[in-house]
Amino acid sequence: MPVKVAEEWLNICGGCEVSILDIGEPLLDLLPNLEFVHMPVLMDHKYHGQTGEGDPHKIDIPDADVGIISGGIRNEKEKQVALAMRAKCKTVVALGSCACYGGIPALANMWSLTDMCDKVYKDSKSTEKADTPKTDLPPLLDRVYALDEVIKVDLAIPGCPTSSDWIKEALLSLLSGKPFAMPDKSVCDECPTKREKKASGGTIKRPLENMAFKQDAPWEETRCFMEQGYLCLGPVTRAGCAGMSMEAGEAKVPRCIKGYMPCRGCFGPVKKGSNPLVDMMGALSSIGLKADQVSDRRAMLSRYVGGHGMLKPLPAKAPAPVKK
Amino acid sequence: MAETVMEQEQQAEILNPDPVVIAFCCNWCSYTGADLAGTSRLQYPPQIRIIRVMCSGMVHPNLVIDALTKGADGVMICGCHLGDCHYIDGNYKTEKRADAIKLMLEDFGLEPERFRLEWVSASEGPKFAQVMTDMVAALKRLPPSSYKVG
Ligand code: SF4
Ligand code: SF4
Ligand code: SF4
Ligand code: FES
Repeated sequence: MPVKVAEEWLNICGGCEVSILDIGEPLLDLLPNLEFVHMPVLMDHKYHGQTGEGDPHKIDIPDADVGIISGGIRNEKEKQVALAMRAKCKTVVALGSCACYGGIPALANMWSLTDMCDKVYKDSKSTEKADTPKTDLPPLLDRVYALDEVIKVDLAIPGCPTSSDWIKEALLSLLSGKPFAMPDKSVCDECPTKREKKASGGTIKRPLENMAFKQDAPWEETRCFMEQGYLCLGPVTRAGCAGMSMEAGEAKVPRCIKGYMPCRGCFGPVKKGSNPLVDMMGALSSIGLKADQVSDRRAMLSRYVGGHGMLKPLPAKAPAPVKK
Repeated sequence: MAETVMEQEQQAEILNPDPVVIAFCCNWCSYTGADLAGTSRLQYPPQIRIIRVMCSGMVHPNLVIDALTKGADGVMICGCHLGDCHYIDGNYKTEKRADAIKLMLEDFGLEPERFRLEWVSASEGPKFAQVMTDMVAALKRLPPSSYKVG
């Protein structure tokens, strides 16, 4: 009997759903074993009956063995949908960094809800001032929540977007009942670039400035990007984006590194709960790069992990002591 | 009760009478310095909680930030003077990391007074007592940390 799958997208961009499609041919082999019973991104299915005849207080999601949820939780509707998914699905999978950590949308957690709405809908120069409509819209929550802050999550596959290989692996292990775990390694651990344990200079360069590499030269001839002076979040980011399998004769290379770009940290911290901002500032100063040159530090180094209280409005500073 | 105007003013300045201060002291210099301060019967404030580490160079920024975001009012790292580190260059790393920590205080909305790096050698008992007194005095003039739990 095929495994019943329900899929929901909450506060997201849709990229992680594309990663599901991106599984490619192996997906065709998987499909006979899967039955998608609910998936708003692909199939029209209304929460309160096709013509709204259902109970308006109950979200109608069919029973499923596996519930895949992408996206964090920003508003009341998403919260209710997540709760309904949890009630109907035996196993809940958090798909992508939005679901796992809050993701890019959680950058908004650096401001209070009022400040954020004022900035976007009232104070910005290009906007006609308007109040947020109050009727017929789900109210926003005070901040963006990661999925596991609201419901219990059984299995997390981070990444922005996440990696098709790991979705496939997760589905396979769910089908066969095997346990699933992502590697507890950092992106650096999977990175094939050459390291000399020292930064070449003190200043941090922007990735647009010429990086030294020769396209298609063996990786051993490419110097680690961080050692070249670019901000690469490899040391504080969980490995996984390089995928699982190696094509014959090819090295397993993290996604961005493969494109000659430094890692942005999209798979989240190596250790659950650790703060990539703090760890990265430590790593930068340990290898001799000037940590004060990272622009917009908080956003830049906690880019994908703003849920779980990782990014929050700064506490009001104490008034400076009065000089006598 | 404060009697004179001056005493009242002094009291008004104390916003946090009992700050929690963590001091990471390296085994070879600063901890020995603390020991000397003790055996010399020098007075220093009781709010200091010393954590002995082998070298100041092993105090990663996350330890300091963790302490500050979990209720400490202030954190100090104390190590050997530059050039004197038992492990040769540990404290040069400390110095660089301290710069990063100072930047991060801002990111966590913490006042700059909440972190200090001090070099204290094994023979500097009086200096140890002095820097601890200074640190606690500075923290008393700040309100309790906004991260304080309970
Ligand atoms: S993790 Fe990235 S790709 Fe996936 S939904 Fe969020 S923003 Fe989109
Ligand atoms: S810092 Fe970046 S380029 Fe260097 S080894 Fe790590 S992932 Fe690779
Ligand atoms: S290299 Fe870093 S940013 Fe790029 S996909 Fe991998 S984890 Fe994400
Ligand atoms: S041993 Fe004292 S600073 Fe390294």
